[in-house]
Amino acid sequence: MSPVLVLPIVLPFAVAAATLWFRDDPRRQNRMAILGSLLHLAACSLLFIRVVRGGMQTMQVGGWEAPFGITLAADHLSVVMIMVTAVLGLAVTIYSRAEIDEELLRSGYHPLLYILLGGVCGAFLTGDLFNLYVWFEVMLMASFGLLVLGREKRQFDGGVKYVMINLFATLLFIAGVGLLYGMTGTLNLADLHLAVQEVDNQALLAAVAAIFMTAFGIKAGLFPLFFWLPASYHTPPAAVSAILAGLLTKVGVYALIRLFSLVFIFDVAYTHGLLLVAGVITMFTGVLGAAANNEFRRILSVHIISQVGYMVLGLALFTPLALAGAVFYLLHNMIVKANLFLISGLSARISGSFELKKLGGLYRDHRYVALLFFISAFSLAGFPPLSGFWAKLLLVRAGLETGAYWAAAAAVVVGLLTTYSMTKIWGEAFWKPSPERSESSEGKDPTGKPDMWMLLPISGLAGLTLIIGLVPGPFLEVAERAAHELTHPQIYVNAVLGGK
Amino acid sequence: MERVARASSLLPLSIFLGAVFLVPHTAAGEAYRWVYPWIPGLGVNLSFLLDGLSVLFALIISGVGFFVTLYAVDYLHGHRHTGRFFLFLHLFMLSMLGLVSADNVLALFVFWELTTIFSYLLIGFEHESAESRKSARQALLVTGAGGLALLVGFLLLGIAAGTYEISRMVPMAASLQEHPFYGAILAMLLLGAFTKSAQFPFHFWLPNAMAAPTPVSAFLHSATMVKAGIYLLARFHPVLSGSAAWTATLILVGAATAVMGAFTALGQSDLKKILAYTTVSALGIMTMFLGGQLAPSLMAAMTFLLVHAIYKSALFLVAGIIDYQTGTRQLEKLSGLARSMPVTALGAFAACFSMAGFPLFFGFVGKEIMYKGALAETMMPNLTASAAVLANGLMTAVAGIFLIGPFLTGPARHGEPGAEACGSMCSGPLILGGIGIFFGIVPEFVGSYLVSPAVASFHAHMERVKLELFHGINTPLVLSAVTLSLGAILYLSRKRVNRAVCRSYQAIGLDGSRVYDRVIEGVAAVGRLQNRLLQNGSLHRYFAVVVASFVLLTGYSYLSGVQALPDIGAPGLATRQWLLLLVLLAAVGAVVVTRSVLLAICALGVVGAGIAMIFLAHGAPDLALTQLLVETLTVIIVSVILLRLPGLGGAGRKSRARKSFDAALALSVGALMTTLALAMLSSPLDRSVTAFYEQSSYLAAHGRNIVNVILVDFRSLDTLGEIIVVATAGLAGFALIHRRRGRS
Amino acid sequence: MQSLILRTATRILVSMILVFSVYLLLRGHNATGGGFAAALVAGTGFSLYTMVEGSAAVRRGIRIDPRGLIAAGMAVALVSGLIGLFAGEPFLTGMWCTLSLFGGKEVALGTPLFFDMGVFAIVLGMILTLILSLEEN
Repeated sequence: MSPVLVLPIVLPFAVAAATLWFRDDPRRQNRMAILGSLLHLAACSLLFIRVVRGGMQTMQVGGWEAPFGITLAADHLSVVMIMVTAVLGLAVTIYSRAEIDEELLRSGYHPLLYILLGGVCGAFLTGDLFNLYVWFEVMLMASFGLLVLGREKRQFDGGVKYVMINLFATLLFIAGVGLLYGMTGTLNLADLHLAVQEVDNQALLAAVAAIFMTAFGIKAGLFPLFFWLPASYHTPPAAVSAILAGLLTKVGVYALIRLFSLVFIFDVAYTHGLLLVAGVITMFTGVLGAAANNEFRRILSVHIISQVGYMVLGLALFTPLALAGAVFYLLHNMIVKANLFLISGLSARISGSFELKKLGGLYRDHRYVALLFFISAFSLAGFPPLSGFWAKLLLVRAGLETGAYWAAAAAVVVGLLTTYSMTKIWGEAFWKPSPERSESSEGKDPTGKPDMWMLLPISGLAGLTLIIGLVPGPFLEVAERAAHELTHPQIYVNAVLGGK
Repeated sequence: MERVARASSLLPLSIFLGAVFLVPHTAAGEAYRWVYPWIPGLGVNLSFLLDGLSVLFALIISGVGFFVTLYAVDYLHGHRHTGRFFLFLHLFMLSMLGLVSADNVLALFVFWELTTIFSYLLIGFEHESAESRKSARQALLVTGAGGLALLVGFLLLGIAAGTYEISRMVPMAASLQEHPFYGAILAMLLLGAFTKSAQFPFHFWLPNAMAAPTPVSAFLHSATMVKAGIYLLARFHPVLSGSAAWTATLILVGAATAVMGAFTALGQSDLKKILAYTTVSALGIMTMFLGGQLAPSLMAAMTFLLVHAIYKSALFLVAGIIDYQTGTRQLEKLSGLARSMPVTALGAFAACFSMAGFPLFFGFVGKEIMYKGALAETMMPNLTASAAVLANGLMTAVAGIFLIGPFLTGPARHGEPGAEACGSMCSGPLILGGIGIFFGIVPEFVGSYLVSPAVASFHAHMERVKLELFHGINTPLVLSAVTLSLGAILYLSRKRVNRAVCRSYQAIGLDGSRVYDRVIEGVAAVGRLQNRLLQNGSLHRYFAVVVASFVLLTGYSYLSGVQALPDIGAPGLATRQWLLLLVLLAAVGAVVVTRSVLLAICALGVVGAGIAMIFLAHGAPDLALTQLLVETLTVIIVSVILLRLPGLGGAGRKSRARKSFDAALALSVGALMTTLALAMLSSPLDRSVTAFYEQSSYLAAHGRNIVNVILVDFRSLDTLGEIIVVATAGLAGFALIHRRRGRS
Repeated sequence: MQSLILRTATRILVSMILVFSVYLLLRGHNATGGGFAAALVAGTGFSLYTMVEGSAAVRRGIRIDPRGLIAAGMAVALVSGLIGLFAGEPFLTGMWCTLSLFGGKEVALGTPLFFDMGVFAIVLGMILTLILSLEEN
């Protein structure tokens, strides 16, 4: 039993409670939030180190032995995810200092943000299916709150679409939990791994697997379930877009990986075959949808879908290498994607718009911003030696090794199409001369200045991308260990149930 | 900044000197290999192999790099982004050096893509011009596409060979060529090489890349980066060549590129475009000769590589000087430059004579060995030889166009006459031109120290092939004479030839650039179409697709495996239960049918209360109580909202078809879930967890109300989560409805 | 809604509802009730009071801002979970002590009850937040 296991969940909630208590003191809120996110990062790192050194960690919450109580379980996949969550939490908190105005702070920005972070960590750490459902609800509520915070009309429109479709996913999730509980009498994931093997009614099991696939598919943004995402992610402040883009769909992907490696492995050819098809179509849909857009954040939003396809592809191929690729891709993409959203906000702060038409001149006047975007965008497009290249390499190689040539080809082609969109943004927002600068004012200093509180987290995340790209070895090793655990569910079961 | 830039030329210079130092060793057949493990888990090492081939390339890269750096300092004098320029230039050079010395294919690929990235940044250097931006992106996407093919090829090669180290693949060549992946590997590698080295039909990006500043064109787009594909073909020659597919593809594509490029060059009026198309042609010649199997062909390819790098970079620098001094690169506006810029003219003469292949110039040696190599081959010797003669003849004519019009005709007819450029700019073409003469006089030396060692590092059966100025009177000499006279004829009839070429292009209608544009537009169009179809902004459609997907997926998963549908049977319900069911159904019906929102809410309240009754009937008073209270509060809150927002009444009218579709979808969801629930209920519930709760509730958890003990103790983490949901709902609600400060 | 009868009746009704709510909260561990249900009952009472007397009266009555109530509830629930952690047990482990009342009766008091109060505060805070902001908007 490791007490550290619960801190990544509890700390954000404590921050939420504290910032809510000081709801009318924005400055103190900012200080508390930054301190809280540092503590959160420390707690997550501690847990990360424990897992890397000592293997899986578990805690039987309330002291009730599994499967009677709720188990928290941290394997390598979980700790990778919470580490990234903590890093993004810190980055976005710092960024928010510059972007979020007092009005929003008084309306409960920080409490909502930290409840979201706590819920995300809860989802990554829980070993209980119903508890996972609870954390999904927490995330849904908190993200809805963040989406509509500020009460602009388009935020509300996006928020409604977001919440309606996601509520349907939640509904499916709880229906699936009910059915599965009725079939097995347990909610503990490790126990479910054993119990599902005893189920006679294979057709019902397949149906339940399909329900979960749909529910998490909606959350993850898989084809054809992704509509809520492009409808909503470009509407809130950039900090909110960034944290939602970095975390939410990935929790859906995480849940898919967890359930379809631990519980639903009775007919891998069928379930994972479906995932493969869905993953590949998703990759294409997202990247094509992005190609047709002309707004900074919309392009990024629709791209999320495409990259979720890559991750699901890794799960669908279901070899250790492919799963390691999926984990590596998650790690890479969460950082890069969130950072690109942060950069979009910074660009908009400088130029006053998210529309590519109205942007321009950033390369000329803000070389540091340009550099940071370039690193992130080309990492996303999978150029070496940046993090995205290794992620793509693992998946393509896994596809070739398993004989899924068309999937590997798709991964490669979609990479090219990603370059297409990223160079569109680069060409329009960075290279193109600023449309507002007339000939006469040539040479004058631009009015917009990048804010240090924005540059700091962006630089940090870009630096992280660079480090993952240049020294991928350690990250890859963790991803491989995660994949090893995922392909050997016995490890998880033994850790939770104590080798019974 | 300029001083720093000038000092930075020490970097290529020292690398050049280092490579020179290695020449005697590699000429003696030595090779140096370093391995730094990078990602051992993936088999990716930073392993480097320096042999004759690498050293030849390294000399070209660092040598041309040195002159280009010095040249660019003055060329870019006063530009606002000089710092970035030299940063990119040197980073490119280092990547290129990495590319030609990497022994691990994945490391090679990393450098390969890095050169693509820096090429992108340098082509787009004049980023405020739309043409630059477009050309940069085109080059990136075309070479990037090839790069991705190359990656697949390398990965397949790795799977087939079990290693990523090239030096370990070479001994496995025979087994690799019988591997089922061989065809795919070859195709992918060739795609990579052909796009990078601007082979037909991917060549179109290279002339467009001339939007880059001229030093960049001289360095990347004639001397070094575009030769990466040539390097790749040479490096993998021992691994992949020998098959008919290799030879035929390289010779055909190379010949087509060589002839097409040279013909097109003839019709250009922009100096840089002329040079770009002759570069395409030259790359075609190299590719064609790498298709060969014997030492003379390969010698020809490597010799011409060196020949071309020297004269072409010189010519680009000349074109840059002309542009810089006169403000134009258009042929028809230039004349009399030999008088106004004599030093530049001298360099231009030397380079052009080498290009035309006059005796005593290095180009002549290159041409001789070409013809010798072509005739020695067994496969398609005549095609190779005639393509080479034709391309060389055309290049001779182009050399004439480049020299005679701008330099030798009378004094300036239009615009600025131009003055001589400063020393550091002129010295480049002058020294490079001088090297061309020097190498042309001592070809034996060049052959044995540079070219032969390069060929020997990718060709094991190296018979002695000497580069000589004079071979005696033989077929190659005759062909050389033919070439020169052909060049003269083509020069004289250049206008007619050009018209014919234009007509034939129009007749064929094949234009890579147009295809590229269409693909780019096509991608956006497909994206727009998809967004119109799927992302149309209507929540109703989104919902319909999502729900229908759910029904289809789950329904199919269930029905495809089920033996018998679950038995509904006769539910043994008491009368009051039937009554309750009827009330519930009526309320649900009312919700669906009514147009009044208030009525719908009340009916929903009835449904909730009915469910509470069901809980009560099954012995769950806590659930029933909570359910009732929640329903009550919901009705209160929603009513309050409605009282304040009167605009919400009544949903809009829907078409009948849409209504029936919605109804069918809703009913199918209900039917599906009911079926699954019944199927689930047909097997008994495992009650071990429930039994544990019953046992320990009071004894271990001090509570008689099991539901409450589950909530606050057994599964208190769930409750913690749920109360946070409740709290969040409060906050989100507050965010939505509270009155903003300062607003009424 | 200014009828005197309604106002008087509401006052009486609301006090009874609130007393009932506290009763539900305290007895929840052993019989039907609990923090959630208790808070819902109290919330219904306050809603009624708000409709009749207006939001200002409710704010005066409860003194604490509803969102502060939520924050306090979260803190209480978290702390009751962390007590177990400090004692070296897993998070949210019930820690019990026995309290002897006058007359020799013994009552088990434990962190789960404390936790339930957190539940009560949050749920009530949420209802009040919604009702009051709706009323004031």
